[in-house]
Amino acid sequence: MVLRIRLARFGNKHNPFFNIVVAQARSARGAKPLEVIGTYNPIPKRPTNLYDENAEARPYKEISLDRSRAKYWLGVGAQPSDPVWKLMGMAGLVAPKPTTYDKA
Amino acid sequence: MPPRIQSRSVSNTLLPYLTAPSSSSSSLSSLPSLSSTSSQCLSRQFSATAAPQGQTKLRRQMFEWLNNEGSVFKHHVPGEANYLTRLKQRGPETAEKSRPFPNNQSFFSEPILSEELRNEVYNRVVEQKKSVRIVSVELGIDMKRIAAVVRLVELEKRQRTQGKPLALPYARAIHEMVPTTPLAEKGERQTYHEPINDLPAHPLTGSQIFYPVPESRSFNRVEAGRVFSGAPAMEHSEAAEINHPSDLAEKIIEDPNSIGWVGKGANARQILQPADVRIPHPHMVALERDRLANPNERLAVADLQSKRLERQDAIEQARRERIQARREKKLTVVSPEESRFDYRIKDTIYTKETTGADGRGSKAAGRRYGVPHRDRTRGEVKIPTRVEA
Repeated sequence: MVLRIRLARFGNKHNPFFNIVVAQARSARGAKPLEVIGTYNPIPKRPTNLYDENAEARPYKEISLDRSRAKYWLGVGAQPSDPVWKLMGMAGLVAPKPTTYDKA
Repeated sequence: MPPRIQSRSVSNTLLPYLTAPSSSSSSLSSLPSLSSTSSQCLSRQFSATAAPQGQTKLRRQMFEWLNNEGSVFKHHVPGEANYLTRLKQRGPETAEKSRPFPNNQSFFSEPILSEELRNEVYNRVVEQKKSVRIVSVELGIDMKRIAAVVRLVELEKRQRTQGKPLALPYARAIHEMVPTTPLAEKGERQTYHEPINDLPAHPLTGSQIFYPVPESRSFNRVEAGRVFSGAPAMEHSEAAEINHPSDLAEKIIEDPNSIGWVGKGANARQILQPADVRIPHPHMVALERDRLANPNERLAVADLQSKRLERQDAIEQARRERIQARREKKLTVVSPEESRFDYRIKDTIYTKETTGADGRGSKAAGRRYGVPHRDRTRGEVKIPTRVEA
């Protein structure tokens, strides 16, 4: 059975929040995973404009990730889903997902 | 064929809207003409009750008051509060001056910071680089208010540089109408703006506890805090070391981990400390005790106090920097070029210690499985309680 590193949706309507989980690929999205190795909040937060250096700062999204567990699960063959691949690519754990532009 | 509306009334009612030009401002100006052209149409009554002719009694009384007694309030006297209680006032009573509501004798309006005082706060904190604690004691302003003043003056300065309009006439008028705390002249003693060492009642202290203590044993505020938080009594040797509860304050500033814990897992709570530790300025108690102990050595006591404050500020500053460095070490910020957003990646730890034996521990990352989400329980605070600046 394939292990996947994928997102599991939490939060309410219009207020999504994701756990980054390691789970069996065929299990349900809301099922109990093997491990919760992080979170991803897709709602961007705006930095306060209290300080001058924050004035032109971009809004940010929060990710938390246990890097050592992520590396372990990738090492034993867990496959990240596309959104998790994107996040892990930014964290420098896997090669960034090639865009359609790169492929062509 | 459905009944037709008469052509005359249609042209009358819809005339302003049909002929209205595209811009909204001119359509608004055309509205008053409606009443003149189609008065017959608008006077149609929707209610069987006839509209009161002329003014009601209350309205008449209001205008009577405004034109006679109340006319003094139309223009305020600069530097004086423009309160209704001015009418009743017979003679200069200071208490009466700060009472805005004549029928609520127990309400006093509190003074606000004057322009000079707030600029002085900003000057001392930002330019002279004094700590918030010291400025709070010097000027008699609460530490939270000091922080707010610094932030707002900063904001005002930035708005000035950006050329944004400021509501200065409004601010000036308000400052003339409400009581303010002035900045003391050079050589004078600064009047305190507010009590700065207030202690909010801790929820743990609300319970009534019957706790018998042998007469032979000492029982002070430190012991009472332990009883309120359900911690076992201290060892005799440990209790004997504490000379006065305010000594604990200094110890805790130096080492916050010296506060003990009660409870297990997610229910672990720090032991309730005596009021001498929890007040905003514990060093003021220490100063007062020094003064009582050495009544004739004012200079030496003041010197000791300034050294104590410097030492405590240095410790707190170092701790703040350490925490900031630790937080930054755990945080990676990625800003992809093709994205509109930055991504802040925080390191977390997934181990048995964080998740607990049953996987439901509160310290692990992510939302829990099989644990009720208590976001809608009563008393849950939903508004943010802190802002990441």
